[in-house]
Amino acid sequence: MNRISKLLFLFIFCFFLVLPSVSADVQRVYDQAGILSDEEVAALEKKAADLFKKWETDFIVITTESTEGLPIMKYMQNFTDQLAKEFNRKKDNMAVITLDMGDRWVDLAGFGRAETYLPDSRLDMIRGEITPSLSAGNYYEAFDLFFDFGDEYLDKHPNIFFNTFFQLALSLGLAGAIVFFMAYTSGGRVTVTSRTYLDESNTKIIDKHDIYLRKTVTRKRKPSSKSGGGGGGISGGGRSHSGSRGRF
Amino acid sequence: MAFDAETGKLTCGSCGRQDNIEDFSDEFIETVFDEDEAKEYQCENCGAVIVTDGDTTATTCSFCASPVVLADRLSGILAPSLVIPFTITKKQAEEAFIKWCRKGLLTPKGFMSADRIKKITGIYVPFWLYDLKNDAEVKAIGTRVRTYTRGDYIYTETKYYDVYRKLRVDFCQVPVDASQKMDDKLMDKLEPFHYNELKDFKTPYLAGYIAEKYNYDANELFPRVKEKMSGPLNDYIRSTMSGYSSIQFKQKDIQTAKKKSLYTLLPVWMVYYDFEQSEHTFAMNGQTGKVVGKPPLSKGKIAAWFGGIAGGSFLIMKIISFIVTGGVF
Repeated sequence: MNRISKLLFLFIFCFFLVLPSVSADVQRVYDQAGILSDEEVAALEKKAADLFKKWETDFIVITTESTEGLPIMKYMQNFTDQLAKEFNRKKDNMAVITLDMGDRWVDLAGFGRAETYLPDSRLDMIRGEITPSLSAGNYYEAFDLFFDFGDEYLDKHPNIFFNTFFQLALSLGLAGAIVFFMAYTSGGRVTVTSRTYLDESNTKIIDKHDIYLRKTVTRKRKPSSKSGGGGGGISGGGRSHSGSRGRF
Repeated sequence: MAFDAETGKLTCGSCGRQDNIEDFSDEFIETVFDEDEAKEYQCENCGAVIVTDGDTTATTCSFCASPVVLADRLSGILAPSLVIPFTITKKQAEEAFIKWCRKGLLTPKGFMSADRIKKITGIYVPFWLYDLKNDAEVKAIGTRVRTYTRGDYIYTETKYYDVYRKLRVDFCQVPVDASQKMDDKLMDKLEPFHYNELKDFKTPYLAGYIAEKYNYDANELFPRVKEKMSGPLNDYIRSTMSGYSSIQFKQKDIQTAKKKSLYTLLPVWMVYYDFEQSEHTFAMNGQTGKVVGKPPLSKGKIAAWFGGIAGGSFLIMKIISFIVTGGVF
């Protein structure tokens, strides 16, 4: 009896030890500029918590009246360095949207898994989609849209090779080609080459010339890899990230 | 007495006597008859009357099974110049064919056992071996493309050249099958034959085998050999123009002449195989053992291979993504 109660106690103790880290959630929406209603903050927190469960990635919203003289990227880096320390995750996966209401700048960033799945190009695209809402003052709608895009893209590796449908099509194509080749060659293959019957001793070049006539040169601009607000970077805390930023 | 593929000698199956064929006299092919004159022959062994079709030059007596060589169809303009004797015996041919059937990855299971070989026949198929001389004069525009980067621009520089070649391209001993009965594509796939075993023709090589005379003479088949060698000829011409990114031919004058054409008998084992109420015909190179011919294909095996390869490669790709992307699909 005594042993059972001890075990029970141990079990309950462990349960409470584990429980807080599962249920007690972190804050992900930092509306310092006060542009969202309480209901909107609660809705975004709920959605961010769901997305974390799904992707192990923290979707962070930061709004501020002022970046204290720092460029918005630097401000975001300092802010999230602090958060990363606080969260103390095994994997530092973050998708961050930062609004500077003073200068009206928006910054999107992806850390860890989100850096791979939300590279500069995708963030540029997402920023293009949400900027009209931000300009119109529909901040909640813009954040919600950012969460939706993040959810969608975290499912699709930017390299097409990791796309399930692409893999399926590739393996079916490969199998088809191999089996077709097997069926085609089942009746025996031609094994003589172009040189089999060539009489090397009598074959020769009697006369030849190669005269230079003219040349043409065409040029095209190098495709610039960075457009708009210029990509990602590395934070003061040594965390590398993808990024896209611009005015709204 | 019949030709023995293992020793290359004329051998008597009963007493074991062996005659060297190279020393054999040509007396049998001295007499000249009109080629269509006789279709009935008398077996020298048992005296029975043998009826052959118009193309046969060697066969076996259907009564006593002794070899019959129809000398009149191997003389005059019909006299072969060269022959490659069989080096694969009937038994070896059968074994090689069974082995080949077992290797078939898409053939039905019942076919792979190769237990329904209906007939296996050694045939000397008439071929013409052509020596060809090609005089080619070619004019073309060649380009060399170079790309480089200066500042913010990528430059593509294309240089044009006037390319001229005057060539002599010879081919030797190109085989073209001269029998109407044989499928040209099948015979082309039987190549290559090794010419170091070419022998001057003597009738005893044919003993015990079936042989055919040619249906098309060397001039009639000249267009076919020209067509057959046009690929290799163009490959050679292109190979003399190395270093160009692209070649656009402006003018191509090719004169092909026949230097020599030799009437040659090449050894082929024909295998007739009954499978599911239909007969399948295969040919085997009687010198190298290479088998050609369309085997039946099993739908089940095709589906299994397709499914296996598709499933396997899909799984491998998934595993790679799993490792690279860190565990989440």
